[in-house]
Amino acid sequence: MKPPVALLIYAPDDPHKASFYPFAVYSPEWQAIQHGLRQNIPVRFMDLPHTHILAEELHENEKEKGQYQEKQEDIHHDPIGHLARAAGYTDGERWWEHMVETRQENDTEIFAAILEGMTALRKELANEQNENLHEKRREAYMRKTLRETQKEDYKKIAVVCGAWHGPAFVNVPTVKSDNELLKGLPAIKTKSAWAPWSYSRISFWTGYGAGVYSPEWYHILWDQKKNLVTYWLTRAARLMRQEQLDVSSAHVIEAVRLSEALASLRGHPLPGLEEMDEAALAVMCFGEEASMRLIRKKLVVGDRMGVIPQDAPVVPLQQDLMKWQKTLRLPAKEDTREYDFDLRKPTDLSRSHLLHRLRLLEIPWGEQLTQKGRSAGTFHEYWQLQWKPEFVMDLIQAARWGNTVENAASARCIHTADHTDNLKEIATLLDNALLADLPEAVESLISSIQERTAKSGDVQQMMQAMIPLARVMRYGNVRQTDKSMLKGVIDGLAARIMINLPGACVSINDEAAEQMFELINGTHSAITLLQSEEQMQGWASVLNQLADLKNGHNLINGRSCRLLQEMGHFPLEEAARRMSLALSLANDSSQVAAWLEGFLRGSGLILIHDQRLWQVLDDWITGLRDDHFSEVLPLLRRTFSTFAVSERRYIGQQVKRNDSGAAKAVLFDSERLDYERAGRILPLLSQILDVEIET
Amino acid sequence: MELKTQKVILRQHAEQQYAEELENLQKVDTAQRPPNWNLSPWAVATYLLGGRLDNGFEISAKYIGNRRLIEIAIATLATDRALLLLGVPGTAKTWVSEHLAAAVSGNSTLLIQGTAGTPEEAIRYGWNYALLLAKGPSHEAIVPSPVMNAMQGGKIARVEELTRIPSDVQDTLITILSEKTLPIPELNSEIQAAKGFNIIATANNRDRGVNELSSALKRRFNTVILPVPATAEEEVEIVQKRVVSIGRALELPQEKPAIEEIRRIVMIFRELREGKTVDGKTKLKSPSSTLSTAEAISVVTSGLSLACHFGDGTLRANDVASGITGAVVKDPVQDAVVWQEYLETVVKERNGWKDLYRSCRDLL
Repeated sequence: MKPPVALLIYAPDDPHKASFYPFAVYSPEWQAIQHGLRQNIPVRFMDLPHTHILAEELHENEKEKGQYQEKQEDIHHDPIGHLARAAGYTDGERWWEHMVETRQENDTEIFAAILEGMTALRKELANEQNENLHEKRREAYMRKTLRETQKEDYKKIAVVCGAWHGPAFVNVPTVKSDNELLKGLPAIKTKSAWAPWSYSRISFWTGYGAGVYSPEWYHILWDQKKNLVTYWLTRAARLMRQEQLDVSSAHVIEAVRLSEALASLRGHPLPGLEEMDEAALAVMCFGEEASMRLIRKKLVVGDRMGVIPQDAPVVPLQQDLMKWQKTLRLPAKEDTREYDFDLRKPTDLSRSHLLHRLRLLEIPWGEQLTQKGRSAGTFHEYWQLQWKPEFVMDLIQAARWGNTVENAASARCIHTADHTDNLKEIATLLDNALLADLPEAVESLISSIQERTAKSGDVQQMMQAMIPLARVMRYGNVRQTDKSMLKGVIDGLAARIMINLPGACVSINDEAAEQMFELINGTHSAITLLQSEEQMQGWASVLNQLADLKNGHNLINGRSCRLLQEMGHFPLEEAARRMSLALSLANDSSQVAAWLEGFLRGSGLILIHDQRLWQVLDDWITGLRDDHFSEVLPLLRRTFSTFAVSERRYIGQQVKRNDSGAAKAVLFDSERLDYERAGRILPLLSQILDVEIET
Repeated sequence: MELKTQKVILRQHAEQQYAEELENLQKVDTAQRPPNWNLSPWAVATYLLGGRLDNGFEISAKYIGNRRLIEIAIATLATDRALLLLGVPGTAKTWVSEHLAAAVSGNSTLLIQGTAGTPEEAIRYGWNYALLLAKGPSHEAIVPSPVMNAMQGGKIARVEELTRIPSDVQDTLITILSEKTLPIPELNSEIQAAKGFNIIATANNRDRGVNELSSALKRRFNTVILPVPATAEEEVEIVQKRVVSIGRALELPQEKPAIEEIRRIVMIFRELREGKTVDGKTKLKSPSSTLSTAEAISVVTSGLSLACHFGDGTLRANDVASGITGAVVKDPVQDAVVWQEYLETVVKERNGWKDLYRSCRDLL
């Protein structure tokens, strides 16, 4: 086992209740345990056990005691910070570092000084009316453990605890009062497990400045008392070289010298993080912040990760995953591998389910690949798998959702759906839940959707939800029971959309019209997918309304016409009539262009195949005045650019053919032809073509 | 030198003007001094940043800004690395360089002004040609440069506008800085630097037509970038301090400059510099001029002169209007547009700025 690791204590019956205790190599508890193991000295934990802490949400009670909370928290949760501010530092970490950590000599007097400081602070706190019950219980338990150990006849007992708790062992209250505090505490069953941890999880990085906690710095401080600064700045130089910045060893030497000079100028025994940062900035980066920013995070936080042995106790979720990995023969490898799952085979189907479930838990072990050249909707799924060590930590954190991968994914799904009002999000979740085969979640999600559609009045959201739902209904492998429920939801959704849509399309601006356009398209394909006669009828009547809508946007009107024509509701004559009606809107050519865009966008085939529509359009364009034409040209261009290349080519050729018919008429009008001018080029032409031409 | 009285010289050197402060610092200074330094690094920092000594003496602040930058600069000099001060024009680089040299070695006159025509002789040594021709090469025939003097005396040499010096001349500094010797090939000898020798160079990173330092030369320096003042209050303080001391030197009648007027000018400069108003609501175009603190100082000083000699002694809007316009509009075409826009959209709308608006409009 190699730190940083974390001890996870959880209640197996209710995985939500859990606590993490990270340990780094420089953590005092870790060092104490290691020392005890080496020297064969028994080591015991003495804090209030988690059976009690997790059982009662003790912290919740504390929050209700309002007023005195602030001052108390100030000293209580950050006693070091309080002392630091009194000493003129802005930051507790730095003060502690300068006062304690960077002391070069083995200075045991420091402990006596710390004890004194904490005693004084606690006295100040005791003057306040309110006291933290939880802390008192913890200290009572610590004293209880100490008393029991003393009875066992050990010669020397060492207590390793936080500075704040030091005075708790000096001014000792009676056994009776301690027992009073600990009487009748509720208890629940707990289990513990080890998890690998990382420095990036330990540190609190919000950008460089006061208060940044650098685990890497403490690690090095612990590891090598000499050559600290050299090591740190060498690391900085190496990181910069990785970023393609030229930093030589000479730079490192000069940076070390500068940081030491800075430290002595400021009266510190050892250069700290700030001195080294400034030295690196001045020497290696020539004063420019940008290069420093690139490497600062990696330098300060570090990227060490811990390791736990294979047989260490792990959380049930992890056990479950390992079991599945074994059964499905899907090993966790760090190099990327590609897999092709045939969903007709049960093993591959289970593998797909597993990967989808993990994705719902935000553990992206596999990434789904979309292969070009292979059609979607076949029975194949392509995945790229790469196991990263961080996933173990994500797994541990996901452990609170459940004890098996299935339960955890399900619970997570339901939780997310409960906490959002966005229909589209829920519909996408439903899609994923079906892919992951989580029937419980699916059920809950469907009822969630139903609830929300009833409440929601937002047509756009409803349409956004409709699209994935219809797809799910048609293609998803939904069990029979779910299908009827889903159908009910979809029907309700469709009905609501049809009622609210015309109202939502009145007096909207271009941007909103654009959004509506896409949604109407999507809804149309969703409804056609569902193939319900009744719904199609209803939809057709809505489209009729939209096509004739006064104060509606022409984009929508045009699109509705088109859709109606495609559904077969309009014969082509009707479409042509509508088009000429729209095109005759006197004078406002941009409005006309919008209608045309709605009608034509995406497919020019209709224009090619129907001569009448072509003629109407042609007449209109040729009849435009010059300035109107230049106004309309960009809009038309945009519309035509959405056609396929082949369609455009065809249209172009068609135009040329039509035109050339007219041009031929001109050519043979011999009055127009200037024979003399034409004759002048003949000699040159005969030279070029190398042919005799009779003039 | 002694014949010239204080009244005749326009601007004294830092070590003369602040001689009393330096003396007091020396008396109180018990910290360790690097070899041949007049003061310890702590004392130099106090001199530059201001403070109160144990014997009650007040040291005025010469540099108002980030304390840590000055500490880095001093620590650099203490480790006998050369110091390069960078920044946009008007951010006190030369000022800091002068005061550092004055505090550390008591002499800020070993100065080389870099220009596009600076020859090698300015940095290494020249020749007394008459003696050279008469008696041939000898030590007497050498005319030492400031750098050579600094090396022999263990003092600090200053190079201004390092990036304007042609590259081949710049590179003569490389050997000086890395080996701390100045070879004299003609005499087959060398000058070795005494302890305490160092170089402070300044360069501005705004100019076009600069000769970038070669990477070998860059590596010989520790770079400190001096920023423009971070907050408006800082800038106002700087401007006010300097205006008072310049006013004394120019023997303007001792009228305390109107703090409101200074605040206005600083606000205008900051808004134009950053390209948006102080409340962050309106975007503005920035002119091509740098609008640094130094320019703000000169605008106020010229306004004060105008007020004293041609006005009634109080600094008013029409005294500073021409100064501001001159500072902002450097490019007659582009900047004029920017300035006009600023006048119409911001100055006109502000409460109590009508007088400034009118005066500036009259000048356009």
